[in-house]
Parts: sequence; structure tokens; C-alpha cells
Amino acid sequence: MILKYSIQRLLMIIPVSLAISVVIFLIVHLLPGDPIDNLIRVGSSPEDRIALTAKYGLDQPLITQYFLWIGQIMTGDFGQAIVLRRPVADLIAQNLPYSLQLGGLAFLFSSIVGIILGTVAWASRNTWGEQLVKGFILLGSTVPGFWLALLMILLFAVNLGWFPVSGARDWTALVLPVLTIGFGGIALVARVTRVALLDVGKQDFITLLHAKGLSRTAILFKHLIPHALLPVVTILALRIGWILGGAVTVEFVFGRPGLGSLLIRALGQRDYPVVQGSLLMLALAVMIGTLIGDIAQAAMDPRIREATK
Amino acid sequence: MRHLKNLRLLSSSALLSAGIFAMGFSSVAMAGKATVALPSGELGATSYDPIRSSKLNTATSLIYDRLVEQDADQSFHPHLATSWTESPDGMSWTFKLRDGVKFHDGEVFNADTIASWIPDFKDTENAYLVAAIKSVEIVDPLTVKFVMERPEPNLLYNLASTFMGVPGQKSYDSLGKDYGVSTAIGTGPFKLSSFEIGLETVVTRNDDYAWASGLSVNQGAAHLESVTFREIPDQSTAFLELKTGGIDLLLGVPTDFLSILEAEKNVGVITMAGTGISYMPINTTAAPFDDIKVRQATALAINQKSILESVYKGVGSEANHFLIDTLPAGDVKKELLVSFDSAKANTLLDEAGWAMGDGGVRMKDGKPLQVTLFTKNDSDLKRLTQVVQAQLKDVGMDAVITVFDSSTIRDEYKKNAHQLAVRNYDWNNADILEWFFSGTRVGYPNVSMWTDEKSEMLKDTAMTKSTTSAERVANFKTYHEYILSQHLFAPLYQPAQNIAFNKDTVTVPEKVRGPRFRSQTFVDIDVVK
Repeated sequence: MILKYSIQRLLMIIPVSLAISVVIFLIVHLLPGDPIDNLIRVGSSPEDRIALTAKYGLDQPLITQYFLWIGQIMTGDFGQAIVLRRPVADLIAQNLPYSLQLGGLAFLFSSIVGIILGTVAWASRNTWGEQLVKGFILLGSTVPGFWLALLMILLFAVNLGWFPVSGARDWTALVLPVLTIGFGGIALVARVTRVALLDVGKQDFITLLHAKGLSRTAILFKHLIPHALLPVVTILALRIGWILGGAVTVEFVFGRPGLGSLLIRALGQRDYPVVQGSLLMLALAVMIGTLIGDIAQAAMDPRIREATK
Repeated sequence: MRHLKNLRLLSSSALLSAGIFAMGFSSVAMAGKATVALPSGELGATSYDPIRSSKLNTATSLIYDRLVEQDADQSFHPHLATSWTESPDGMSWTFKLRDGVKFHDGEVFNADTIASWIPDFKDTENAYLVAAIKSVEIVDPLTVKFVMERPEPNLLYNLASTFMGVPGQKSYDSLGKDYGVSTAIGTGPFKLSSFEIGLETVVTRNDDYAWASGLSVNQGAAHLESVTFREIPDQSTAFLELKTGGIDLLLGVPTDFLSILEAEKNVGVITMAGTGISYMPINTTAAPFDDIKVRQATALAINQKSILESVYKGVGSEANHFLIDTLPAGDVKKELLVSFDSAKANTLLDEAGWAMGDGGVRMKDGKPLQVTLFTKNDSDLKRLTQVVQAQLKDVGMDAVITVFDSSTIRDEYKKNAHQLAVRNYDWNNADILEWFFSGTRVGYPNVSMWTDEKSEMLKDTAMTKSTTSAERVANFKTYHEYILSQHLFAPLYQPAQNIAFNKDTVTVPEKVRGPRFRSQTFVDIDVVK
């Protein structure tokens, strides 16, 4: 049943992607600015400019440009960057591993620590422990990433010398950016986990389990957590797209390449094919992330499986 | 983008608190290796293909040699070309080539290289560099003759450009469009070892190198075994890397950071003349600036000395015309130089009918002298713009600042939606005048929206009708003087180039040869023994 459900959902991605591609194309092209301004240099003639505009098809009507682009995408070709002068697919492929490394590890770190902290906060409700975790959650959701990044650098790289200040040479350079991004994520996951546990804990079947004499530990691990994880999984799934493109400021401070940085640079130069290609990739990642989340929920929750029969 | 720039500002202020964390230097330039942070304007290069790239960085100058090198005073010096002669009519140039030069892959450099290299520019974005060359004739294995389409007295400047670093032809032809990404073959003092786009480039010493230009003291192989060029977008992070020994050399330090750097006892700072100016174009088509008196008054209201002292703490120099000081076409008649004269500015505005109003803002026909002042958010220009705004206020002009990102602002110029703007450029050639004031480029880059018959004629003469270099200088000087006489802009400031290095790990020559910190100087850098 899950397989049928998954295929149905997977097929839905096609029309949604097409609709998104139109939106992306329009937003990018309707922005003021012209990539050719970033390509021509002092000494080139006004005729060179006209020739370049024609070379990249920017003199064509928007609708023609869209169909040319989407036609290319259909054949798996993301086109050629105008200002960055490389195939878009190459640029994405070069930046993707850095984003996956950083985003993926930060995602794992924040999910695991967040769930544990949320559970601790719930288990220690009405004690100082809960206040402590709640304080941490508040801090994590309000501290700006770049500020935290600089603080991390000053403390762990400059003062203690444990990790490099910036770069992406080896795993040591990953620690501080992962901690920085993870910190905000932990707060979110912990908050959702705590609230979900509180909700589930109030339900009748938990009271019944207590009445039947099950140990608190057994109730927590066998019944409470599996139920409470459902909303947590939804939140986590939504963050899969964010893994790829959500680390721009942290990439900036730590001097790391990544899809987010590529997108910002290309956007600043109005390098249309790169912006469109990267945005489409991110949109796909969000859709696939949501799909994975839904499938995971279906696998965990018999009610969803039943509803799709 | 705006967010990133705000972040930069915030992070630089956070830097001040870095002082509380004391930390000694650790030596990383061990074993002849040095790490360099590229200047922010050079970040994001995607290839080391000098012919097809639209953006190259300092590392490119280490991989490739050029026929000709330029010094800090803009003079030209032999390199792969040992000498050259230009025919009196400017229709041919003959270059004698250096003997014994080899590419990193063993290919020999000779006249064949040049004959096959020049045509490679055809149909690329960089074709304009060789547009005046009709054909290349091989006179003998070490002599080439450029037969010209038209005289091009700017040829030496083009040949000294990083985009005209000479690539190995065998490698260039066989790799096609992939050339420059993982392989880049030049004759330079360093070989490309690895390149990760957006992260870092590692170059290793070319041990066979024995053909440095006369601008370098060291005529043999470089002292450094390898150089790693890192891309660090955040200046605060780059500074902390220098502080902790993560990098040895920081190119392109913003003037704001100098005081912080100078406070570090192990950081050496080199300040050299810049290659551009900051200026305020005046839209000549937008009232009240269609009146030349108002334009002149606006230019005279700018206090260059105060800008230099208050905004840049005396680092850099005053700008009084449109070109950098080292360019001979900047040597204009004294009376045309633009410098602060508040009394004259006020008189001119009075003459133009703008009488001082009660609130310190001038009025004419019941309307206040209120104008727009555009600036970019992704530059260090915002603070400068605020000072300009205050200086204009002093003569009764109420300038309202609007901030745009760099792409949007160009669209505003093209729509003729502007009056005044604060901008800067980085270019060490007089042809920048054509770029910003040509009638064929109105809107952008001709932000002054300047169209004028005499100006066009002088421009054409300077750009294409000069035969010799001296004639070109004279023609550009005339064009420059005419531009100045029409008050199309106000010069604001000439920035300096600042380089910081870790004195504990590397020694850097005191005198930097070349308009920028490039290969000529890199071969002279050594590690501290």
C-alpha cells in the first residue's frame, strides 16, 4: 500500500515542478537587472553588448526563452551560466557536496539532540530542568546564525585553537558550522518534541497504560515517543530542502562554498540560468523532502495508510 | 544580498570585541608554503581559462606570464616579449620573444605559440582585446609581427592584462571548453595544482622558471614552494585567519580594517596606490542639473580633503579629476581640477536662481532644491554617500539617499530615474572616460546621461584615431579636459590598495611592482627563516 501511495505522490511532483518552473522563471526575469552588465568590460564596444545579448538569447520574447529553458531541462541539460561561464549542472554538482555535508550533518545533529532535549524537557516538567531546556530553546530560536558563528570562531578557533577559523579542507572545518546551524535546529526540534509529548501524554490511552501498570520507561519508549514523533517527522521533512540552501550566512562567515552561496552570487549578477537551475533544485529537494516525510508518517501511522487505501 | 552586507557590517563591529581573546601566532608558512586570502572583488572565478573567462583572480597571474608587464606607474616592461617596435603609422607591431621559455607541460614557447594564441580570442567575450590585430606573421621562431586592422596605441595595455596571459597551445586546443578548470598550463612561476571553485586554488612552484620580468628582484624560481589562494567572503573571518595564522597574506584589506590590523604587532601592512576612484555622476538631463551652473556648484560643494580625513582616516588620496593620478591623461590644466570651493558653489547657485530658503534649503519658483542621491548597498559607499549628503546640505541642496543592489541600480540609470549617485570604478586606463561618458552608452554606464557632439568627436579621436601612444595620451587629455569643463561629475576620493601579511611567517618586498599585487611581487615573497 505504501508503494502505491509513494508512486502516486511521486507522480504529483511532475506537474508541481512545471508550475514551480514557471514561477521561478518569471520571478527571475522580472527582477530589475541584466546579466550582460556583469559580463562586458571597459574597452568592449556597444556592438559587443548587442551581440552578447543575442548570443544568450536574451533578446527573445520571455515566453520563447521559457520554452527553450524548460525544453533543455527536460533533456537533463541545465544550460550554460552566462556570467559564471560554466555549465549550470557542473556548478551545482561542485557546490552540492558541501551543502549536503554541512546541511546533512547539521540536520542529523539537530534532530537527535533536539529529540533528546525535548524528551528531557518533557520528562522533567515542572522542575528547574524544564526551565533550563526551555531557556535553551528560547536562546536557540532567537540567536542570529551569523552572530553565533562569529562567537564560535572567537571561542573555539581563535581563543582555544581547537578548530580552523574557516574553510572546508577537512572534517575539523565542519565542526563549527555544523554546531552553528544545528543550534537553531535543536531549539525547533526540541520545542516540537516537547509539545507533542505533552499532547500525547494527556491522551486517554496513556492513562489506560498507566492504569494497567506498565512501567513509565516502557510507556515512554514504546508508546509515547512513537506517537509524539509524528509531528516531529513532519517538521524534519520540511527541513530537508533547507539542508541544501539554508546555510547562506553560515557559509559566508565560514568561507565555505555551497548551493546557497552559489545562488546568492548568481542572483547578484542576474545569472539567470544558474539562479533558475539552483532554485529548481531546491524546490525539488523540498518536494522530495516532504514526500519522504509523508511516506515516513504513513509507515509510522496506520491511520494514514488506511486512508489511502 | 543586503542581508549579507548588513552581516558584514555587523561582523566587522563584532571584530572589535575580538581583542578580548588574546592569541599568539602560529607559523603556517613552514616549508615554503604560504596561504593567501583573495580580495573580495576576485571571489567566484570559475575557471583559469584567460581567453574565455569573464573573471580571473590573482592566482591567474602566477600561472601565466604575459608578453608585457605593467608597473605601478603604469609604464610597460618586457617579459615574454624582450622588446617591441611599432611602425610609425601604427599599422604593425613587431615583438622579439624570449628564448628558452617552456610551458608547464614542456611545450616550447615561441612565435608559433603567439600565432595560434591570438586567433583563439575570436568569438569570445574577450575578443575586443585583440580586435585591432588583423593577423599574426611569424618573422622567425622568436619574432612575431602583428599586422593591424587599425592603429592600436593601447595594445601594450591589453597585452599586460591578466586576460592575455599566454596559455600552452597544445593543452588549450586539446581540452577545449574544459580548459582552465582542472588543467591550466602557462609559463608562469607557479603551476596549477588544484582548484575548487569558491573554496581554494593551490599552485606549486615551477622549478624551471628562469624568465621573471625585470620588475622582480628574484630572477629564478619563486622562493615559495606553494601558494594556496583561499576565497573568504567575510572580511572579519579573513582577519581572524590572519590573526590565528590560518593565512599569511590578506589581499584587498578594506581601509576600515587598517586600524585594527595595525594594532596587531605581528601584522605588516602595505598601502599602495589604488587603481580607481569614487565619484558622483550628475544626470545632465534631469533638472536642475541640466543647468551647468548647478552642476558646477554641486561639484564644488564636495570637500575631498574632508572625505579623505573623516571617512578614510587619510589613507588613499584626494580625487580632483576623473582618472587615477598615475595616468598621464590625468595631468590636466590646473583650472579644470575640481576641488572644494563653498563660496563659489553658493554664488553659482545664487546665479542659477536658487536662493537660500529658511530651512537651509535653497528655493526657486517656490520649489525646494531637493534631489535624489542613489547608492549601492553592496559596497563601502554608503558611509561616503552620507558624508556627500551632508556636504551638499551645506550649500543648500537637500539630497535624499536611496539604496539599491548593484543590478537594480543599473536599471534605474537606464530608466533615467536618477539625479545624483555615488559610485566607484577600478580601472587604470584612460579609456574609462569613453566607458562612462560616451553617447553610445547613455543610461548605463554613462550615468551622467551625457550626449554632446564635441564630446563624441573628441572621444572618437582618443579611442580610434590615435596612432602612437603619445598621441593617444594627448587625445585622451583633451577629451578629459572637455569632460571636466562640462561638470558631469564630482570626484570624491582615490582609494588605496591595502595588503596585510603575517610578519612572523612571510617577508614581503617593501616596494610592490605592478599596478596590483601580482606575480611580479609573489616571486619575491619568502618565508621567514
